[in-house]
Amino acid sequence: MDRREFLKGTGYCGLALMFGGPLTALAVNNPAQAAAAAARGDRAWEALYREELLGTLGDAQGFAFHCSNCQGNCAWKVYARDGVVTREEQVAGYPQIHPRIPDANPRGCNKGIIHSKEMYQGDRLLYPLKRGGERGKGQWQRITWEQAFEEIAEKVVETLDEKGLEALMVYTGTGILSQGRRAGPLRLGALLGAQRMYPASAVGDMFTGASLAYGVTNIGHSLDAWFEAKTIFLWAMNPIVTRIPDAHYLTEARYNGARIYTITPDYNPSARSATDWVPVRPGTDAYLAMSLLHVLLRDNHIDEAFVREQTDLPFLVRTDTGELLRHRDLRPRGRDNVFYAWDEAADRAVPMPGTAGHHRETLRLGDIRPALGGTFEVQGRDGETIEVTTVLERVRAEAARYPPEETREITGVHPELVERMAADLAGAERAIINIGFAMHKYVSGTMTCWAAALACALTGHAGDRGGLDTENNWSLGGLGDLSNPKPARFGSGFFTEWLNGDMEKSMRRHYPDEHLRKTAGYDSDDVRRHVEEKKALGTSYFGRPSALLLFADNMFRRNKDESHYRETMLSGLDIFVNINHRMDSTALWADYVLPAKSHYESWDIRGELGYHRYCNITVPPKGLAPVGETRSEWEICLGLARAIARAAKQRGIEQIADPDFLEQEGDMAAPVIRDLARLEEDFTLGGTLPDDEAVVRWIMENVPAIAPWTPEDGAKHGFVILNEQAGYTSPLAANRPYYSFERNVYLREPYSTESGRQQFFVDHPTFRKLGCTVPTAMGPLRPPSFPLAFYTPHTRHGIHSQWRGNQELLRLQRGEPYIWLNPNTAAERGIGEDDPVRVFNDVGEFHCKVKLVPGVPPGAVVMDHAWEPYQFRKRLGLNNAVAGVLSLVELVDDWGHLTFSPNWDGNMIAFETSVEVERSDGGVQ
Amino acid sequence: MRQLAMVIDLNKCIGCQTCTLACKSQWTDRGGREFMYWNHVETEPGKGYPRDWKNAGGGWEGEQLRPGRLPRLHEDYGYPAEFNYEEALFEPTEKPLRPIQEMQWGPNWEEDQGAGEFPNSYFFYLPRLCNHCTKPACLAACPRQAIYKREEDGIVLIDQDRCRGYRYCVAACPYKKIYFNPTTGMSEKCIFCYPRVERGTPPACAYQCVGRARHVSYLDDREGPVHRLVNEWKVALPLLPQHGTQPNVYYVPPLSPPAFDADGRPGDKPRLPENYLEELFGPGVHDALATLEAEIERKGRGEASEVLDILIAYRHGDMFRLDRGGQQGGQGDA
Repeated sequence: MDRREFLKGTGYCGLALMFGGPLTALAVNNPAQAAAAAARGDRAWEALYREELLGTLGDAQGFAFHCSNCQGNCAWKVYARDGVVTREEQVAGYPQIHPRIPDANPRGCNKGIIHSKEMYQGDRLLYPLKRGGERGKGQWQRITWEQAFEEIAEKVVETLDEKGLEALMVYTGTGILSQGRRAGPLRLGALLGAQRMYPASAVGDMFTGASLAYGVTNIGHSLDAWFEAKTIFLWAMNPIVTRIPDAHYLTEARYNGARIYTITPDYNPSARSATDWVPVRPGTDAYLAMSLLHVLLRDNHIDEAFVREQTDLPFLVRTDTGELLRHRDLRPRGRDNVFYAWDEAADRAVPMPGTAGHHRETLRLGDIRPALGGTFEVQGRDGETIEVTTVLERVRAEAARYPPEETREITGVHPELVERMAADLAGAERAIINIGFAMHKYVSGTMTCWAAALACALTGHAGDRGGLDTENNWSLGGLGDLSNPKPARFGSGFFTEWLNGDMEKSMRRHYPDEHLRKTAGYDSDDVRRHVEEKKALGTSYFGRPSALLLFADNMFRRNKDESHYRETMLSGLDIFVNINHRMDSTALWADYVLPAKSHYESWDIRGELGYHRYCNITVPPKGLAPVGETRSEWEICLGLARAIARAAKQRGIEQIADPDFLEQEGDMAAPVIRDLARLEEDFTLGGTLPDDEAVVRWIMENVPAIAPWTPEDGAKHGFVILNEQAGYTSPLAANRPYYSFERNVYLREPYSTESGRQQFFVDHPTFRKLGCTVPTAMGPLRPPSFPLAFYTPHTRHGIHSQWRGNQELLRLQRGEPYIWLNPNTAAERGIGEDDPVRVFNDVGEFHCKVKLVPGVPPGAVVMDHAWEPYQFRKRLGLNNAVAGVLSLVELVDDWGHLTFSPNWDGNMIAFETSVEVERSDGGVQ
Repeated sequence: MRQLAMVIDLNKCIGCQTCTLACKSQWTDRGGREFMYWNHVETEPGKGYPRDWKNAGGGWEGEQLRPGRLPRLHEDYGYPAEFNYEEALFEPTEKPLRPIQEMQWGPNWEEDQGAGEFPNSYFFYLPRLCNHCTKPACLAACPRQAIYKREEDGIVLIDQDRCRGYRYCVAACPYKKIYFNPTTGMSEKCIFCYPRVERGTPPACAYQCVGRARHVSYLDDREGPVHRLVNEWKVALPLLPQHGTQPNVYYVPPLSPPAFDADGRPGDKPRLPENYLEELFGPGVHDALATLEAEIERKGRGEASEVLDILIAYRHGDMFRLDRGGQQGGQGDA
């Protein structure tokens, strides 16, 4: 049986013959029929559609969710007949948490609902494939799993032996984010000491502005909290499109009387659902944020008690150096991380409890009454007088520069709107500022987000009063032994990709230094210098790999300067193995392609996503027939582990010492041993984890936040409910929405920042050099060499590139990629609706169609992101015209809470490129 | 005759197309129906789906049927694109993945386009299915008497034994929601998921609406959301009532953020022109919008609002009452 025969066909020949004649006008006049027909009795034929319904309900039912990077995490029923999935339908059985909060049903969107089509679609990988001709030429040979495992293992062992452990990268992309299916590749990579990038950073989804303020990047509320809020800002976020299962909480919040401000350059679906649209010009959000702060401070909308205790705004800043006043400034051998405020009660500077170096680990101020403003003098350690002021004074001075009447010229937002936003934020008992993933696609996003956090702080919005929301995640402690049995080489995402893909070239080509200095305060040489410094730390980058095992990641789609990235990456690879359920634009270039199961085909579990409190379980329908020879990631990793162990023994390298990591044995520290010979036993935990079901059972038994639920509960309902331990910074209460930072606000536990507080002053040299020790405005970086701003928000019809090539969804689009243009911008270029165009700049070009959209601002090119490059002419995707620039602030490392970790890493900047558009001939090759 | 009816809240419809695909996988992904969308969501204003359906005639002029046009497959419905997966992804070629035949139109062709001039452009989503009209033009037009309205629930069906595919019904429907099946040679359309309804499960498009925009209950069920929204609160209106078919799908009209004045200052008028909404939903649209706005203000002040509580729908199950005895329905097994 070949691929075509295997896949479910939808033969549709001959249809065209039945239509396509001239327009026909038909009418008869026979109204008397109505009564006659209504009374008819013979309705036996109705069984026809009843039988069809039974057909879709099938003979077996399982549960599933779609474990991709959408974070929606929705429980579905999956029906199958004769081993083939027939249909899926939302479980719609999540219990309501409180009578006054709408329930979460029926979670599940347009992507989830067609996965049964996707899993049998023509792009599905069915058999292990080996490249025949050159890379990327599409000459595939079908091979057996055993051959694949054996050849890959030999090459991997050779790489480890000859080039070192760090030469192997085992990376699992955002195509799999569930705890069950992700466990296999994580575990295999960790046992081998392979390098692994941080996915959130590789895809540019870090909220560094939130990291600055809180020391935590993913913070916020469960999305049912929207329903309780009276003021909501949706900033650089389009949840009506990107948070489909939770969008009802917004429309319901509006009915509940909330004011919703959608801040976005184009009149998008979330703007249309808002009470107010704030049409900020692309990339100028930081100016708007500073004007909001301006109004809040001007009108004294300050929750003083909150600010004194919960923020660093009363901390003292030296007016001479512009640095925070530290213990070491006052005492010889003083500490670096003890900071001061001016105590109005005692009229002197006092060390603030709760700072990173202070012995009192609490925010409780006791008798201290920190001054919020003023200039004071303290005596330095050598007896000198040091003049100090407060962080809030610095913030005031900065915000004073941005009255809304003046920023209007930049942002395009009318001052009255800014005034009303500020008043609604300050006046609401509960207000929420949502920061979308689009924000940090601009270099200025860090500042916008930090300023938004400050606006929440000034107005006391934290805990159950709302506050900033980036994206809440749950704490699934207990997974470590499964996914990291030994230390992995955990590296930065954005940094690794930028270096591996040699993106410096496109940065230098696209951004004239003078322009960069003017707009960003730094130039390409500064970036290069800071990159070298960060590299030298050796903590977040492990070099370009020469062997790559890539699971569910579309790196040749998502990286900037697309074709150069791909060529550079490939040139360093001795072996490239791609493991995926479908042929994506990256797999096309692999040496080996291994076919994985997809969302319905193996046991799985997912619960880390903080939009809701339900942990979903996948249990395949009984008797589900395998699709081709696909195997689960766990089975694939097990096969690789077995083969690697065998190859290592043959080569005589049963163990490799890894002195980069030390293991404590009694009093002795010894290098971690990478025990290749025992890889299979270690992978299966001595045989106790033979398959995916065992993995899910292990997770449910070992993650405290899942207790007391059992796998049987999961298999019965398709989900279980997380308990109160799931919250990081607050307990997850059973009967109300979740809000961050209740432990800080109500129990006075310090925040994970250097100041121990919500932090709005950073005196790292880079911040001082760039003039952003406090939140400030920063414009877009896009160069004037090309006239149009290019930005690429998330699409409704895919989760990144997943489902992008889906037939059902493409039929609900136009079947091929298109950009959105304002009709005037198009007309100026002689471009009309649905015309073919070429989009280009000095980075590269791509070809697509045009959709004229009056809600798009003039001077912008908007495109749904993540079309597969293989959907474009010459297979050159949209990132072929996007430059790889970096933010200097995000290169800061090794400084307090700004030290590389899952809570501090940078972003792949995506929206700072300029392009031009012209009509093209419309050819496809 | 009892009438099972639907209210679609256009303020809660987010245009996600989950309903479109719920219907597709329930009924129209097979057997010659591949090109059909018994339920779809189009962006208004626009030509819609099938293309230009509003100008394709049909409906009533007094007691006379008005002539109507048959939509064309490629140009008006859009041919159901199939893609060159095998060639593009598994064979030596540089060709992109594309529809084997280029698409000319589709059910969501004008997604998010709308009308107006930046920054005062506007659009909203209009989900459409068979209206299961009280005075169906399709029924009257059928020379075979193959179309009937069920006594127990008012669902309008095309008898697949009697139909001969003459397509008078297709032309007569002013909403162009009847499709000709070239494989069976008969006409088909939305059946209000009667096989689901009979099992106590709401229609797929409604039950699976993730925006929670659709309410389903009998029009005469005084406890049901449809009766309360349509008859009591009068916030739900039929689409293009001037066609005279008396639809049983009702719409809560769309609110919109204010338009900006020439100076960029947000005004106090919604950006969706009210005369345009009146063309779509009739003169009742003004009162319906005024009611919604007044009730939202009440909620904003912390007061109770019965109509908004119905529209909010605290429990998904509350949106559906299918039990003919008038008891709680909606949590079926499908």
